[in-house]
Amino acid sequence: MDFVTLGGNLLGTISLGDIVLYVTPFSLFLFVVLLIFTLLIAISKTETQVEATFNKLGNTNVKVGLKEFKQRRFLSVICGIASAGAMITGDLFNFTLFMALIGILNIGIVSAVKQTSVLNSAYQYGLIAMMCSLPLFGGASIILASTGTLCLAILSQMHANPMVIFGAVLMLLGVIGESGVAPFFASKAEMFRTPGSPFIVIIHLSSLFIIVRAVEIFLLILW
Amino acid sequence: MADILINVIIAFLAGSLLLGLHRKIMARVQKRPGPPIIQHLLHSLKFFFKETAFPKTVSKPFYIGIVFILAAVWIVGVIVGPVTKNSLLILFGVYAIYKIVEHNSGSSSGSPYGKLSCVRAVLSAATELPLFAVIVLVYLKTNTMNIGGIISYQSVNGSLAVSIPLAALMFFLLLLTKSPYSPFAITKDKALVSGFETEHFGFLRGFIMFAESISWYVMLWIFLTIFFGHLSVVGYIIGMIVITFITSFINSVTPILNPNHSVMSQITIGAVCFVGTLIMIFI
Repeated sequence: MDFVTLGGNLLGTISLGDIVLYVTPFSLFLFVVLLIFTLLIAISKTETQVEATFNKLGNTNVKVGLKEFKQRRFLSVICGIASAGAMITGDLFNFTLFMALIGILNIGIVSAVKQTSVLNSAYQYGLIAMMCSLPLFGGASIILASTGTLCLAILSQMHANPMVIFGAVLMLLGVIGESGVAPFFASKAEMFRTPGSPFIVIIHLSSLFIIVRAVEIFLLILW
Repeated sequence: MADILINVIIAFLAGSLLLGLHRKIMARVQKRPGPPIIQHLLHSLKFFFKETAFPKTVSKPFYIGIVFILAAVWIVGVIVGPVTKNSLLILFGVYAIYKIVEHNSGSSSGSPYGKLSCVRAVLSAATELPLFAVIVLVYLKTNTMNIGGIISYQSVNGSLAVSIPLAALMFFLLLLTKSPYSPFAITKDKALVSGFETEHFGFLRGFIMFAESISWYVMLWIFLTIFFGHLSVVGYIIGMIVITFITSFINSVTPILNPNHSVMSQITIGAVCFVGTLIMIFI
């Protein structure tokens, strides 16, 4: 399947050896949205989360400390840039690398939080992400071994043999686990209970957009 | 440019009136007189002129910026859909951003109601799965993601609603989820006041209502176009009114589900319809 059928008219290509970056309305839209969100994250302060207090009538204001704020903002901005890279890349291996980086950064963004339930959730998500890095890279390796290339422009013109289909299934497992979407979001949702709205939004945004991009990539490879 | 502007205005006016009709029908089913059909449109316009205040607890750039992003992405939805009839994948991206807006407008306010709505927005990403499945199934059937191509396919091979009815049912589930007072609307449960919208008022709420009207119109337009082909203006009007009527009837007689039941119902219906449609396509 070609880019035009999936993402709209081809606006341009950037050829870097056998890695060909391509720009369609679809990839451009995702890329620009991620950069806008990354910019907003870079300039935003965190909210003050108001929580009910047990056995008292008053509320508790939960804030993000300065040191924690700096750490989490740095990781969130990197996560935004990595996600934007995953939207525009034309190379399967680059996509898996960006995916793995996003998984690590998602854990990092909440690991500075001092809430047991949130840390437990991040730990469980971390275990899933670690386990799923094997099928993620394994799938890409199998596709490389059976076709001799990881360039999406070339893969999109090839007929999908059984090994490519097997590799794509493994990659799908890897993407689902690394991004922590269904059926793994049950553990990931707990991570969002922590304050720090600008930082946790990139966790959700990167996961959703990675899935959207993965749909395009799998259709490119398989049909 | 004029084409985009005209379509955005049509989307806003038609979406507002359809949401007003939705509310009216719900009221009449529940034996209440209900507000006039034009009330949703008047509310949307009214909020643009109301005084706006920002709570002390908010994360300001996001709290304000997110509503502009919401309005902008649905304008992109109008451009990709009714104006240029471009790729369905971009509309999938637009819908994904809508989920992000639900998430962030709730969490950026600092309100506990908004926060809970934000956590539920993460869970309700399950509604993405039927949309994703529909897009793949339509692609498998028509070999194109381009809306113009899908219209051409139907003009030769007949309506997709007839050939892959379970995929149409899945998309209808998405419309039902998006409709006001839906049994699946866990992010706007009344236990959370107005959910992620609770702390947005004044012109910020005006932008949210503007975007909601456009989104309802765009979603109905996509459903009618990709499952019934290109319709006349009268066909679109009748189709949109019929779907609004059906969703309002369902919503008025169905209680809201708890988050776990909502997610599991959507995934189960989505999975059954997906497998059923695959069987219909390949066997």
